[in-house]
Amino acid sequence: MSVARRPRRSSSGVGERRLLVLTALALAVGIGYVALRDLGSSAVYYLTPTEARERNTVPGTTARLGGQVEPGSLRYDETARDLRFIMTDGVTRVLVIGRGAPPALLREGAGAVVEGRFAPDGSFLADQVIAKHDEVYVPPAPSQTPPHRTP
Amino acid sequence: MTTTIFPRILTVRIQPALAVASIVGALVATAMALLWAPPDANQGEVQRIMYVHVPSAWLAYLAFVVVFLASVGWLWSRRPVFDAVAVASAEIGVLFTGLALVSGSIWAKPTWGVWWTWEPRLITTAVMFVMYVGYLLLRSLSTDMDRRATRAAVVGIVAVLNVPIVHLSVTWMNALHQLPTVLRAGGAPAIDERMLATLIVGVVAFTLLYAWMLLARVSIERQRQERVMREQA
Repeated sequence: MSVARRPRRSSSGVGERRLLVLTALALAVGIGYVALRDLGSSAVYYLTPTEARERNTVPGTTARLGGQVEPGSLRYDETARDLRFIMTDGVTRVLVIGRGAPPALLREGAGAVVEGRFAPDGSFLADQVIAKHDEVYVPPAPSQTPPHRTP
Repeated sequence: MTTTIFPRILTVRIQPALAVASIVGALVATAMALLWAPPDANQGEVQRIMYVHVPSAWLAYLAFVVVFLASVGWLWSRRPVFDAVAVASAEIGVLFTGLALVSGSIWAKPTWGVWWTWEPRLITTAVMFVMYVGYLLLRSLSTDMDRRATRAAVVGIVAVLNVPIVHLSVTWMNALHQLPTVLRAGGAPAIDERMLATLIVGVVAFTLLYAWMLLARVSIERQRQERVMREQA
């Protein structure tokens, strides 16, 4: 058997230690449960446009908004490097203005997260535009050219 | 004092078998990921990073659950083999958490548009990485083998809470990271069959690799333990 086996002290010492192990385990499970439950309800990565409006987000303060790119609203002017689209959560619509090329996966009807601040006129000036994709993975349809394919 | 520090069959027979199996598995998984699986309709070819990213994250979970079990084993029985398994698994877990972070970052840039963002899944994974680096540092604070093993075991038990936190972080409100694809609540996996098969082969190959690395590392640790015991005797 194992060489480095430690000589057992008294049997009551072992029992005591094992009780301690069980108590510690029960405690860890309890803490874990509370942590998971509360983290889940308090961790917010972004606000929806409606939440931002309800919280009266002050123009000029940094905020992160998440929502859907409204179909038909996405415009990018390459010479001016001016990106504009409407972000919507189905209730509130916000005009997002960014600089620079949008990420390749930013699509109308798909999700996006923008970091920046509200302008006094209610539009949102984005420093960063992040595309959000879903957890569904399918091959492209026969006629479709997948993105990121080098010709 | 007997010198059966580690069952010989494990190092002589099983370890080389695992080495061969994990190398073959990695080759098959690579071929399937690059040649056989179709690209994704939305993300294109870059989605193939998934076949490295997901198995890496899986190994991180597996490794840290093994650290937890071995830590309980040590506190329960004080058999040094459990401490050897704990340190071996923690090192492998840190390696693959790092790989998951790096491959995730490389995947995020062309899809999300950023290398990194302070999003729940990313934050919790970074915290998990740092905590297990801390676990390994803690182990070097004491030269007393028993004390070190006990202290490490306490951290090894508490830190396993990271695993469910990381896994569930994508289901919290307003995360950026997509929801679980395969292990999703209610319903079949939302993934093409060939992609799923490739992913499963990748996970199996990585798991074999883990078993190989674990066995090799545990046998080194057992020899080290024996040397320390001899020096102290």
